[in-house]
Amino acid sequence: MYTKTVFLKDTGADTEERTRQVYSVFIDLIRNHNLQDQVQVVRVADIGIYNQGIVIEILPDNVLYANVKEEDFSRIIDTTIKESKVIEDLLYKKPSKQLRIVLRNCGRINPESIEDYIAKGGYLALKKVLLEMTPDAVIEEMKKSGLRGRGGAGYPTWLKWKFTRQVTAEQKYVICNADEGDPGAYMDRSVLEGDPHSVVEGLIIAAYTIGASRGYFYIRAEYPLAVERIRLAISQAYEYGLLGKSILGTDFDFDIEIRLGAGAFVCGEETALIASIEGKRGTPRPRPPYPSVKGLWDKPTAINNVETLANVPYIILEGADNFAKIGTATSKGTKVFALTGKVKNSGLVEVPMGITLREIVYDIGGGTISGKPIKAVQTGGPSGGVVPEEYLDTPVDYENLQKLGSIMGSGGMIVMDEDDCMVDIARFYLGFCVDESCGKCAPCRIGGFQMLKVLERIASGKGKSADISLLKRIAFAMQKASLCGLGQTAANPVLSTLRYFENEYKEHIDERYCRAAKCVELLNYTIIQEKCKRCTVCVNQCPVKAIAGSRETGFSINVDTCIKCGRCFEVCKFKAIARK
Amino acid sequence: MEKLTPQKLEQLHKQKKQQQGNLIRVGMSSCGIAAGAQQVYSVLKEEVSKRGLPVSVEKCGCLGMCYAEPLVEVQVEGVPTVIYGKVNPEVALKILEKHVVSKMLVNDYIFTFQVE
Repeated sequence: MYTKTVFLKDTGADTEERTRQVYSVFIDLIRNHNLQDQVQVVRVADIGIYNQGIVIEILPDNVLYANVKEEDFSRIIDTTIKESKVIEDLLYKKPSKQLRIVLRNCGRINPESIEDYIAKGGYLALKKVLLEMTPDAVIEEMKKSGLRGRGGAGYPTWLKWKFTRQVTAEQKYVICNADEGDPGAYMDRSVLEGDPHSVVEGLIIAAYTIGASRGYFYIRAEYPLAVERIRLAISQAYEYGLLGKSILGTDFDFDIEIRLGAGAFVCGEETALIASIEGKRGTPRPRPPYPSVKGLWDKPTAINNVETLANVPYIILEGADNFAKIGTATSKGTKVFALTGKVKNSGLVEVPMGITLREIVYDIGGGTISGKPIKAVQTGGPSGGVVPEEYLDTPVDYENLQKLGSIMGSGGMIVMDEDDCMVDIARFYLGFCVDESCGKCAPCRIGGFQMLKVLERIASGKGKSADISLLKRIAFAMQKASLCGLGQTAANPVLSTLRYFENEYKEHIDERYCRAAKCVELLNYTIIQEKCKRCTVCVNQCPVKAIAGSRETGFSINVDTCIKCGRCFEVCKFKAIARK
Repeated sequence: MEKLTPQKLEQLHKQKKQQQGNLIRVGMSSCGIAAGAQQVYSVLKEEVSKRGLPVSVEKCGCLGMCYAEPLVEVQVEGVPTVIYGKVNPEVALKILEKHVVSKMLVNDYIFTFQVE
């Protein structure tokens, strides 16, 4: 059996070959020292550190060296491997790390086994709440923790619970909002699929606190696996006496039912969600009265997001003070982001509030796939906006993102590089909201549609110089007059791209030019005859046979047939295709 | 199953917490399944029972490294616990052969990520 393990990876080069070379050098040295039976050297695919040269991690010492040169290998073997001593000058401080509270059990337990969850301390928070805490004490604890709603708006959870608790009614409800629908966001899905019991436990604690005896999971039907696992988790909880009559032998009764969302984005809005559970058409209604006073079937109702509820058992068990230590002055704890777009390591990251966007994108995400510089990061989905490169050092919290014209939102984070056109991005998000508008109020129904028409006009090169002020005017009206969050925020992506990238809009309008080469109607492809070697690669690759000619006379692109797909531009080795 | 009381919950927690053993976990959330985890899981399950290997194969949720799915975590006594990424059925068999049987780590598929 080996006594030491050496992980090895060349993080500077993208090729596996470099790591292989380094590996053979290292292994030869190990053999020279006759250590091959005690030490195993392993090539690692990803060591979680990027662009730091050769990285070596030694177990069980847990020593991490970066920017190691081949001439350092002997030192490492003599000092760290043979004598278990650390070489200070090579030591690497681990980059800003993730901190897992919500995802504490995701990937660590079998989500289909309640006993796995109990092994990790599951339902002990519920036990503590039921046996040792009054509802007011729970609210006090939540207040101390500073937990705010993770669905997007960031409303303090304790306040929501307090308001719902204050109202006297013979029946109250709690709802878990699992109608996650932002493009590119799937944090809640992963929590429901990876650790369903934590959300169930959070919901039971919420019910106890506000005095509800019934609860609902509102999950979108597009998440069949999440639905299946929540269903299983609920039935297991009933079986173990953690749901139903006299939970854990106390006099607290609570039942949960599942309701499936039928695919409308607006049903993530709390009043529309309530209407949907009631069997009505899922459209929002004016607030107040807020659901905490008049919610489901006109009874006081507390609606919390999946991620918010998953935080609750942790806060109860670990204490509000420990939770409140994490984060910034106004935003406590962690946030899960779904990091997607042009980033190398797309996936879920959970980070303490106050970390910068740059740390998330570069240190955890590994930078862009293309290696091109980042242009902006989109947060908050269709209700959010873009944060341009120069603001990436802003610490992430609710207030800071709002100041930048974006929002925290539910946690979608899309990385964009130079190949992304801001007009196109605005059009995409607005298009999404126009599709999803329920049509109940005119500002959202008409305003969104008209804005989209203007954006389409700009993207197709028919924009007018007055269009920018027109966009701003409609956006303002939508913000002020729409009934619900969807309409009030639908214009945000447009306003935010205008705020930082107005020059790109102007280029589209005045010069009919799209610098990212995304707006196809503004592009024209031509063959530069002087550079063309007449190799016919483009001719063969053209999907619509728009390139005609012969090797003798040369080739040209037929503008009428060309669909501007850009295939010829990509395949030409001689850069003989001009894209303008 | 008998309904839990506070004492029994506590007991169950303590009892389950101590259970340790050789374990292979396959990330079986939507992201993993989309990348082919179901096949990897089936191959591992089948091979382990066919050869009677001293390891249990279980499902787990998403670790977050969706770019490296399917992910397979291997905890075997005497070998550091590691997570293998981009695992296909072929690599899965190699993991069983090398990691579980010969107690040697498999090159080129380990993904470590820095989490507290």
